[in-house]
Amino acid sequence: MPQHQISMVLDLNKCLGCQTCTMACKKLWTDGDGMDYMYWNNVETRPGQGYPRNWDKIGGGFEDGKLRPSELPTKEDYGQTFEYNYAERLFQGGMQAMPQEEVRNTPNWDEDVGALMLGENYYFYLPRLCNHCTNPACLEACPRKAIYKRAEDGIVLVDQDRCEGYRYCMKACPYKKIYFNELLGKAQKCIFCYPRIEKGEVNACAKQCPGRLRFVGYLDDPESAVHKLVHVYKVALGLFPEKGTEPNVFYVPPFNPPRTGSYGKSVLEDPRMPMDYLKYLFGDEVIDVIRRLEGELHRAQSGGTSEVLQLLIGRDEHVRYQIPKHEDLIQIQGVHKA
Amino acid sequence: MKRLECLLICSAAAFAQNALDPAAAEWKSAAPVTLALHRTPPLYPTDAPAALEIPSVQAQIIHSPAGNFVRLEWADKTRDSAVLPKAEHAWQGDHLVTQSAATDRFSDACAVMIPAKPITGDLNPSLQMGDPDHPVHIFVWDGTRGAAVMEASGRETTKRTGQSFPAQAQYAAGKWTVTMQIPDLQAGTPFAVAIWNGSQQDRDGRKYFTIWYRAQ
Ligand code: SF4
Ligand code: SF4
Repeated sequence: MPQHQISMVLDLNKCLGCQTCTMACKKLWTDGDGMDYMYWNNVETRPGQGYPRNWDKIGGGFEDGKLRPSELPTKEDYGQTFEYNYAERLFQGGMQAMPQEEVRNTPNWDEDVGALMLGENYYFYLPRLCNHCTNPACLEACPRKAIYKRAEDGIVLVDQDRCEGYRYCMKACPYKKIYFNELLGKAQKCIFCYPRIEKGEVNACAKQCPGRLRFVGYLDDPESAVHKLVHVYKVALGLFPEKGTEPNVFYVPPFNPPRTGSYGKSVLEDPRMPMDYLKYLFGDEVIDVIRRLEGELHRAQSGGTSEVLQLLIGRDEHVRYQIPKHEDLIQIQGVHKA
Repeated sequence: MKRLECLLICSAAAFAQNALDPAAAEWKSAAPVTLALHRTPPLYPTDAPAALEIPSVQAQIIHSPAGNFVRLEWADKTRDSAVLPKAEHAWQGDHLVTQSAATDRFSDACAVMIPAKPITGDLNPSLQMGDPDHPVHIFVWDGTRGAAVMEASGRETTKRTGQSFPAQAQYAAGKWTVTMQIPDLQAGTPFAVAIWNGSQQDRDGRKYFTIWYRAQ
């Protein structure tokens, strides 16, 4: 158990699917050789195939305390990286701008497709990054002990010198958030922008997010928004809790707009999307969370104030982020996760 | 202990030039010895168990004044190796990123393990990468990254030394042939062989191995 655990809460009701976070991360960390296909932060449309394709169905995580077998995603599962025929288009003219190869899959292949329920479409965006799990399957799987969880902030990192590229971690991670750099022969993953966090600066993905939906701080800091959302108000849940890794990235579940003609009815009474789908992603507790959030909504709509909703609006950075510099971390009076 | 009866001494001059050529005539006059291969038991629950697709490896050893050479030959239906473009470790600004072509391929490979220091008596180091009192050197060749010397003193302690060694490989007609020059593989030195089959996702402790033999 680390002394402190850095954490992120994402309010899925506010995500625009703009991929600004994805590009912020890409430009900062994964524009090196062999990293072309990697998106340490990605945003996928749900329901949908996800990135890499079917990552939620191919295995990993724990079952009865033991690692579960898994497939290794192929490059095509992650999606191809391709160039357009810019030179022909711009300098020879007369032809369409086309990818230079046949495209069969991309990271965002089924963007905004979603699914139908009772004749109405529903979908939402799910931004994903490494969950810096409390019980990381990746770390457990590595025979080289190349993966470690930092004591000071709980960030999970791959020691690039010790890594031999065996990819047991990729199989073990139930979120498929470790990638293989074939050119270097190394596994690489989200580093939770640790050089920024150490200086008290928020992650690049959160900093750039125009939806202002990311909350970052220490889970054991009673003053932090993440602590309140997860442990006090209990409105944020980890993805696939049953996979046993205890993720430290949490989500406020999405409501979706009301169905046509369902004005005045509650989300649970007349849902736009099947609640079973949300239960699949976040576990059964999601129903309680939705009930809780709806209660807050009613209170606000009938003229009361809701601390939770005020916090979730999170207009200003100081509301969303509480990140003491590493040298000041000592001031957090640890009330560890109950 | 099983003894490997395979000894051929050539003249240095005749042999030194071709020793590493897997097809060199000298190798034809050295009788190969068949070493049985075993699969490591399933070590990692993330991977499905693997079948024994490669039952044996043929080994030949030549001690000559020009050096100590080993030639390994084994049947493998698929050639799993890649020529990778060179990656720049530095972040390159606006240069077009060189792509990883695959995420799920593993290389065919082989290795010869020998004790790192002379052993006394008939006791060999632990087959699992030696032990703290009996460290080992491992001469690995892999179809993608080439030859590398590793050292270890027990399971999970394997480390690259940063050094390479002379080796050549050839894949033809469903067979790998790899030749290595290993200075410390003198007559009487115990050695063990490992084979990795890329198409079975072999890497690390997921592999084929032999027991210890001794070059006589
Ligand atoms: S999300 Fe995956 S890669 Fe990240 S810490 Fe958890 S198990 Fe490891
Ligand atoms: S930047 Fe924010 S709003 Fe845009 S896709 Fe990422 S998480 Fe969603």
